[in-house]
Amino acid sequence: MNTESAGVQRVVVTGVGVLSPFGEGAEVLVRALEEGHSGVRFLEVPWAKSLNSALAAPVLIPVESRFTKLRRLTLDRVAQLALLAAGEALTQAGLDFSGDEGLHCGLFWGTGIGGATTLEQAYHESFLDAQARPRPTTIVAFMANGSAGQLSIEFKIRGPSFTYSSACSSSAVALGEAFLAVRQGRVRYALAGGSEALLTLGVMKAWESLQTLAKPDPVHPETSCRPFSRDRSGFILGEGAGALILESESSAQARGATILAEIVGYGNTTDAGHITQPDAGGQARAIQEALHMARLAPDQIDAINAHGTGTVVGDGVETRALKIVFGDHAAHIPISATKALHGHLMGAAGAVEMVAALGALRRGIVPPTAHWTTPDPACDLDYVTEGARALPALNTIMSNSFGFGGNNAVLIARRYTVSP
Amino acid sequence: MSSLPIIQKMLVEEFGLTQEQVQPDSKLEELGVDSLATVEFMFMLEDKFDLKMTGEPVPLKTVGDIAREVDTLVVQQGISLDQAD
Repeated sequence: MNTESAGVQRVVVTGVGVLSPFGEGAEVLVRALEEGHSGVRFLEVPWAKSLNSALAAPVLIPVESRFTKLRRLTLDRVAQLALLAAGEALTQAGLDFSGDEGLHCGLFWGTGIGGATTLEQAYHESFLDAQARPRPTTIVAFMANGSAGQLSIEFKIRGPSFTYSSACSSSAVALGEAFLAVRQGRVRYALAGGSEALLTLGVMKAWESLQTLAKPDPVHPETSCRPFSRDRSGFILGEGAGALILESESSAQARGATILAEIVGYGNTTDAGHITQPDAGGQARAIQEALHMARLAPDQIDAINAHGTGTVVGDGVETRALKIVFGDHAAHIPISATKALHGHLMGAAGAVEMVAALGALRRGIVPPTAHWTTPDPACDLDYVTEGARALPALNTIMSNSFGFGGNNAVLIARRYTVSP
Repeated sequence: MSSLPIIQKMLVEEFGLTQEQVQPDSKLEELGVDSLATVEFMFMLEDKFDLKMTGEPVPLKTVGDIAREVDTLVVQQGISLDQAD
């Protein structure tokens, strides 16, 4: 069944790109998750001893070396990651926006913090020396919309541009809003996704204070994040970027593009309850909204990429939300929580996990929820704990992203079939 | 003594330009050194020579313009370039 109705475009994905703790490339991410590789390790930085634990999921490839020194003057690491991921997505899509097509592309980008490295450097210098002058490029490198601006400059994207910041759901929101803009015909193309680079001393210590980070496993630290397992203790901070090219089906068909998948649903709600505590009701409403938009019944969802951060409260609440919407069918849906392996990419999480979900859809294999050890009565669904699972008939997949501040963003993708 | 050789060396080291690119009449804009990068570079020069810029906007179009501005300030502020190299 196709969802197209009068005045509404079908929205397809024609390019994806990822910088993740596994390296560069969407395919690298998808294969690493299938094989259960962990991107978690101890940071090797001079200030590691200032942390309770330097366990994180960093991007290890030499990102800086991909840009000239002059270009780097205005590029925080978060924008460098964004540019590399977007470049991969645009290359796959076969799009060049340097001509008039650039007028028809919108830019929808998410980030939790923006240029944390630049801002922290400026603070550090200023607090140490009252006479210190931050670099003149400090503001443009750390501002939240720095990545969106740099993406537009690099790729000549000249339609509307938006930066979304809703903590862990930022890039899922960016994708969802991009989906709506293409669906409603506001733009022909959208570069959408998010980037995050917050593995800095100040930010990591602040997260430690919040007490949501996983306790390091003394023997196998790379397995410390254990979503939906009774011995879960929190998440591992990560960094990266995910980028997707969305466009109308008619545009993709007209230019003979390879269509990777179709985005069919998006839900976005706010808990209005607590700044950090998630709410099953708010999450359930977002899932229901996405299903409604996709014109799918709950039993037509074949797999879920859970928000699944590995916190005691969060995983239990998400499980309850799934039961509210899916009822008894919830127990029959394979649910993957990939943050166990790539860490919590914060503002980039929604986009990177959507790329993982699309990889699962394309390959008919859902990744595992790694490091699970012990059943929890509060988390009693099918979390694919045995390893990657082949699902040849996989046709639809849902990706959940829930952020501090109470924002819930849910996306649904489907294998693409040509309009009749 | 002119500051030009030191400035050329710094442009190569700090911005990744080549020695051939940073000739006295080379236009900054054409080298990719835009207004933001120029301000960044002037900050570096202040630190390097222990200079104080006037704060007045100075039209700096070429590598040579930067050297002439620095040379003027060095004389005004009684700074020795030998100590900076």
